[in-house]
Amino acid sequence: MQFIENIGVILIKIFSNFGKFILFILFFLKYLFKPKFYFKNNLSYFFRIFVSSIPIIALTGIFSGMVLALQSYTGFSRFSAESAIPNIVVLTLTRELGPVLTGLMISARVGSSIAAEIATMRVTEQIDALKTLNTNYYNYLVAPRVLSLTLALPIFVTLVDFIGVMGGYIVSVYRLGFNDNLYLLNTIDFLNLTDYLSGIFKAFVFGFIISIVSCYCGLFSDKGAFGVGSATTNAVVISSILILSSNYFLTELFF
Amino acid sequence: MKIEIKNLKKKFDENIILKDISMTIEKNKSTVILGQSGCGKSVLIKTIYKLFSFDNGSILYDGKSDVEIDNFSMLFQYGALFDSLKICENIAFTDFINNKTNFDRKVLSLMNDVGLDKSVFNRYPSEISGGMKKRAALARALYKNPKVIFLDEPTTGLDPVNSDKINELIINVITKRKITAVSITHDIKSAIKTGDNYYFIDAGVIQDKGYCKNILKTKNKIFKSFINGAKY
Repeated sequence: MQFIENIGVILIKIFSNFGKFILFILFFLKYLFKPKFYFKNNLSYFFRIFVSSIPIIALTGIFSGMVLALQSYTGFSRFSAESAIPNIVVLTLTRELGPVLTGLMISARVGSSIAAEIATMRVTEQIDALKTLNTNYYNYLVAPRVLSLTLALPIFVTLVDFIGVMGGYIVSVYRLGFNDNLYLLNTIDFLNLTDYLSGIFKAFVFGFIISIVSCYCGLFSDKGAFGVGSATTNAVVISSILILSSNYFLTELFF
Repeated sequence: MKIEIKNLKKKFDENIILKDISMTIEKNKSTVILGQSGCGKSVLIKTIYKLFSFDNGSILYDGKSDVEIDNFSMLFQYGALFDSLKICENIAFTDFINNKTNFDRKVLSLMNDVGLDKSVFNRYPSEISGGMKKRAALARALYKNPKVIFLDEPTTGLDPVNSDKINELIINVITKRKITAVSITHDIKSAIKTGDNYYFIDAGVIQDKGYCKNILKTKNKIFKSFINGAKY
């Protein structure tokens, strides 16, 4: 009996948190289109995210492209289809690996920092202080983070796509002996605008997921150091799971 | 501003924090709320501030139930300064986030009032001491010329010398600016020094009230035990 009761308690907690999260998104959307819009705050946050994430984005892109070229060669050489490597590298990066890997990396780099920062503000009563100063935290804290990350992720994905293709090019040309002009020509000819745009659309969705989940985890964290730690972990874990699961449905959409 | 609280009840889920609170905060006087940790003092002032809703009872501000939150200010226990902003931006927060830039003179004047040196103007909260943070937070609370200021344990975490300085500062500010003050404290010495009236809360109800100058003469057994630091 106790076992069933425990399951009931857990289910109620899950559904109540889900309801709270949906309400949080609705409140965010409500205040997003209402004054006040802190333009300076939004812009500065965008640049903060952008500058701090460029190195890990570049590393993610280059190594993904390089590994992809090597692994494709292992498989395609068995069918004498090595010439398909540029096509596979660019297609996999733009449609799949670019958005997903960037999403996961940014969730670890930026999502965790958003959750930790907001949770610390909550623990140290800075959120209450905002309220006493008649400042809506959806406008001041949530909107800049969500807007910045939702807009920044497509740019990051574009960079990962480009750097990844260059990584594949380096390995293919200097390690596997491909013709450099032919490699680039194959890449450009094979790529459709739809391939690129499907990845960009995923990036918008992933950016929104990471930022909104991280803000939610930070704002509704438990108090104390443990609360800040849990908020950070939850933000990364939930964002990652949502990225991977929503990726399937988004892929179905563009299939 | 005079604030009248009648039969206030506040609960979080099934946990009743304030059972039945009735009290009057007199205009331009300093009211002190005393009580053990966890007795609901902070919840009470945040409810008066309209940061929390309440379940039962009434709160009247100069006889009306509606009030502009801009009439209020709060000094938080540990200052609650925004880490990413400089001290001047913290103090002039409302103007700063609205892109107004001509706040330097007002900030410097407030810093002078609360005894903050000009050198901290462009520093970040992490670069100054606890006492300085309290002063900066007090300056921020005074920036919007409030009618009522709420002080949440203003001397917590400070050494006796700095506590005394903050108490002096609070008395000066309240008297000079003619502000109604509501403060929470555990510190009996501070309560006697800075307050006009006191209310002692225990188990969600008011157990004792009176003039701060008569605190040590209280006949209430629970409050006496609290003063003497004994368990009750």
